[in-house]
This record gives sequence, C-alpha cells and structure tokens, in this order.
Amino acid sequence: MPAERTYGMDHNHYAWSPLPARPVLRWPDGKQLALCVTVLLEHYEWEPPADAYSLRRPSGGIFPLPAPDFIRLTHREYGHRVGIFRVLDALAARGVPATVAVDALTAEHYPWLTRHCHERGAELIGHGVAATRLITSRMSEADERATIARSLDALRTVTGTTPAGWFSPEAAESARTPALLAEAGVRYLCDWPNDEQPFPMTVPAGTLTALPVFLEADDEFALWTRRMSLPHWSRLVVDAARRLHDDGATTGRVLVLNLRPWLIGQPFRIGALADALTQIMSLPGVWAATGSQITDWYRSQGHGG
Amino acid sequence: MSLAPHRVDYLPIIDRPRIEWPGGARVACWVAPNVEHYEYLPPRDSRRNPWPRTPWPDVQGYGYRDYGNRAGFWRMLEAFDRFDLRATVSLNLAVFEHYPEVGAAMVERDWEVMSHGIYNTRYLHDLGEDEERAFYRDCIDTLARHTGKPLLGMLGPAVSNSARTPDLMAEAGLLYHADWMHDDQPVPIRVETGRLVSVPYTTELNDVPVFLQHYDTDEFVAMAKAQLDQLWVEGEQSGRVFCLALHPYLMGMPHRIAQLEEIFDHLRSKEGVWLTTAGEIAQHFLDHHYDDFVAHAERYRTDPAGGIGA
Repeated sequence: MPAERTYGMDHNHYAWSPLPARPVLRWPDGKQLALCVTVLLEHYEWEPPADAYSLRRPSGGIFPLPAPDFIRLTHREYGHRVGIFRVLDALAARGVPATVAVDALTAEHYPWLTRHCHERGAELIGHGVAATRLITSRMSEADERATIARSLDALRTVTGTTPAGWFSPEAAESARTPALLAEAGVRYLCDWPNDEQPFPMTVPAGTLTALPVFLEADDEFALWTRRMSLPHWSRLVVDAARRLHDDGATTGRVLVLNLRPWLIGQPFRIGALADALTQIMSLPGVWAATGSQITDWYRSQGHGG
Repeated sequence: MSLAPHRVDYLPIIDRPRIEWPGGARVACWVAPNVEHYEYLPPRDSRRNPWPRTPWPDVQGYGYRDYGNRAGFWRMLEAFDRFDLRATVSLNLAVFEHYPEVGAAMVERDWEVMSHGIYNTRYLHDLGEDEERAFYRDCIDTLARHTGKPLLGMLGPAVSNSARTPDLMAEAGLLYHADWMHDDQPVPIRVETGRLVSVPYTTELNDVPVFLQHYDTDEFVAMAKAQLDQLWVEGEQSGRVFCLALHPYLMGMPHRIAQLEEIFDHLRSKEGVWLTTAGEIAQHFLDHHYDDFVAHAERYRTDPAGGIGA
C-alpha cells in the first residue's frame, strides 16, 4: 500500500525509532559491540518445483546457463561438502560462537552435517526450505505457514527445541512473515539490514526481536554482488567493527555478519575471514555471542521484545 | 541420501578415507589452459546464445578469443616450457583440424588432452541420447587421429551437460568428469555402467570469471598463491586437488604473462606438490581410493544419521 504521508513507518512491522533517541543499551561486562556471526547453509536445488520462486540472478557459477547449470549447482554445493568446516574452524579458533542458519532441505538431506554443527555448539536457526524456494508475497498464507513449520520441524528433529532465530532464504519475506514466525515461536529475525542495535518488532502473537544483519559486510553482497576484492572486504569488516565498537561506548552496538561456506569457505578466501576476525576479537569491548544470547540479553535489559 | 541428480553421495571432507598421493605429496596440482574455438556463425541453439552482444557475427567477441590461438597461446606455451610444466589442455577438439600448428605444439610437449567438446559453441544440453553417444565417438576418434592417445576425461563444451552425460561418458570409456566444482578432492560419480570419477575443475581460480568480474592479474596471483598454500596445509591430513584454469586469450596477454610465471614459480617452488594431470589424478584415485570412498559413502546412505564420530 502506498505511504500516507503521516508520522513514522509506512508499515506496521516496527515503530520508527531514531538511534540517538533510544535508552542506552549496555552489553554484559561493559562490552561495547556484540558480534554475531551467522553461517548460512543454503541448499540450491537442481530441480526446484515449478511454482517455486528463486532470485533472477542467483549467486554462484559464472552467468546463467541452461539447465543443468553444473557450474552454479556444484559451486553452491561446495559449502556443504568442504567450506563449512573451514568456516567453523576459523570461528572456533578465535572464540567466536557460530549461529548457523540451516534450511529444511539441508537438514533433511544432510543430517550428519546438521548434527555436526549442533554438536560443535552452534546455534541452529530457521532458514526456510531452500534457496530455490523463497518466501515472497506470491506465496499463499497456507504455503508460508507450511514452509515455516517444515523448516522449524527439520531443526527440532536435530536439537529437540524450537529454533530461537530465523533468517529467510535470500532475506525474502512476504508482508506476513514476521507475524507467522512469532506465532510459530521464533524469537528473533535477521532479515532486515536496517539498524545497529536490536529492536522490537510488532507482532500480534508471540514476541519478536529484530537482530539486524550488517548487509555491506555480508560476504555475498560484498564479494559476489559488489565484486569487492578480498583485502578490501577484510578491511571493510574490520573498519566497521572498530567504529561500531567505539560508538558502542555511548550505547551498545551489534554486528551481525552473514557468511556463506560456498563463498568465504573457498581455500583462497578463508584467510581473509580469519584475519578480519582476529583483528575484531582483539578489540577489548567485543562480545562474541550467538543470536539468542544477544536477544536474551537485550530483552533482559528492559528493551522490550 | 543424495539429492537430485543422485550422482554424488554426501561425504563431508573431514570424514573420508585418507587420500595418499604419489611420493607423499599433499596437493595434486593440474594446470588447465582452455584452447578453444568459438564459431564465427555457430548453429543456433535453443537455449544459449554465445554472442549476445550484437546480431551475429560479433567480431569483437570472436576476435578477443581468436587472439588466444594466434598470439596468446604461443606466449603461454613459453611460460609452460620455462617452468617445465605439463598441461592438461581443455581442448575444443576441432582445434586440431583448424589450427594444426597449435595441435602439433601440444603433441610435441605430450600435454594431456581433456575433451572440451568439438567447439565451444556446440553444447550438450539439447542433444538426444544417440547424438550424445556420437559426440563421444567423435571426440575419441579425433583425439586418436591426431595424437594416438585414448581420451581420459571431459570438461563439457562451455561446461554444458545433459542429464545423461556422466552415464554416456562412462559407457564411452572415459575416466573422469571435470564439471563438478563442489569439492577439493576427487569423488566417485554414480553411473549406470562402469566407473567415473570427478576431478574438480574450478570456477573460482579461473581467469575468465576473475577478469570478467572486474578483478585483474594481481588479484588472480594472490588467489592462486593463497589457494595452494591453504590446500597444502590441509593436505597433510589427506591429499587435496589444486586446479588452475587458464585461457590463452586472457593470461597469454603481454601485460599478464609475468604474473602467470609468478604463479608457476609458486607451484614449482613448493615441496609436497604433485605437478600432474587430471587423467593421472583420476587413475590414481581409481587405483587406490575409489572403492574405499564408495564403501565409506555407503555408511551415510544406509544410516544417514550415522557415520563418523558417531
């Protein structure tokens, strides 16, 4: 619906809230920056259902090729077979817990991998059904509910609990998505790249906190879509973290960093991630935490759901 | 349980039988120049236009690539000679017929020829089963005519494939398929008859996407060195594969050749690097590791939750 030229947002998902006008946010132990690294295990199908929606220019491969597009399909699969383990090792070596978004096809068809992430202490969060089955406004409400239920069930099978967090495949939502997620028991949502702090989302049932991703540092956005060079990306991530860390002395900041194992997990790229994380973790006021740890702390400080 | 197209079982790289390369090498390295011919006026394909820039012909696109065979190839050849490297040439086999001097230079150096189809403008995706069978016969016969050697493997023409490609490759007696870029090791490919191995080519360490995506040679050199160094570290646990994909029309250019030699020097100067060809990697894997990999994958297929460390 077109905006109505009145105060605040042109939708009902959250309230308008300029950052300087908010109550001061403090992280545990006086930390200034909460770092949340989200690792995305996205399954990219060879044969998506005919009615499924995919990005018109999906990442990976070279350029769109007639099916079967071996380059893109196998490029994306690399993350599940090889890249994920490099990424998890790089995080663990620097004391950074992993928040791993696992889509349902990954959980269903790579049970060993999903369990491996869980057993290594990663927090598993919902990630839809597949990177080739996006949630969009073209989806019926019934199909969207089924998509969310299937995704959450697939992870419940592994962890025994409802995932606390959610990142939609390709960050695609319908206008219903936040409400349906909260209704299904999801507590935080990473899709909206619009802030430097968590903030409450407005939902009819349940309680939903936005944990905003930092889009310009996202490996796919920077390295694939924008074709940034690796050293440049590494510097961008560290520069952003430094400034957020310093600004966090006034009121706490969050940096949610999205990583894709098929991309950043390539042999020649992993060193750039390792270098950036080493520099970020050397800042004195960084709190590396999972999405639910950050969300729980944020809510416990009276900042609302 | 494997996903469509059910060709490759899931095997996490941290839980596989150990690969041991000859001489205790950590990394098997193959260098693949793509020697190609793109037709001036190719047959029309229903799904892919090799020359989308203008109505055909596109003399700029054609000429850019033609440069590779007229000039770039010869400069690149000197670099291979200088570092005594044996290439696995990804070859459009009609090059033997159009440009016999290029063919003779490769035969003289005993380069291993990997089929890259007949032309880079004739794709596999629309071929019928018998047409695709005839295509492999053509590739095998053409190679035998010009080199006397058997055809060991293929990177699909312009990396095109049909759903049947692996089955028909194995039926024709090929050993390896390079189009699976999902791994740092060879893995078995499930086929109807015989055996077929994936020897992973690369869409990352490849001058075409690197340069088309607006990086240039310095980035390519840094990528290649970092790639080898990372795989070398990991190769202590189990052998890895390093592939460098080149095109003479790009890396054979005068402003890039010194950096190509810098990469070659890095490959040559590291201990524990097996400088080899895709066919030798495939044969070694078939002789020593294929059966173990199939048996190990079976554990995941029959007990998807089970496996390793469980």
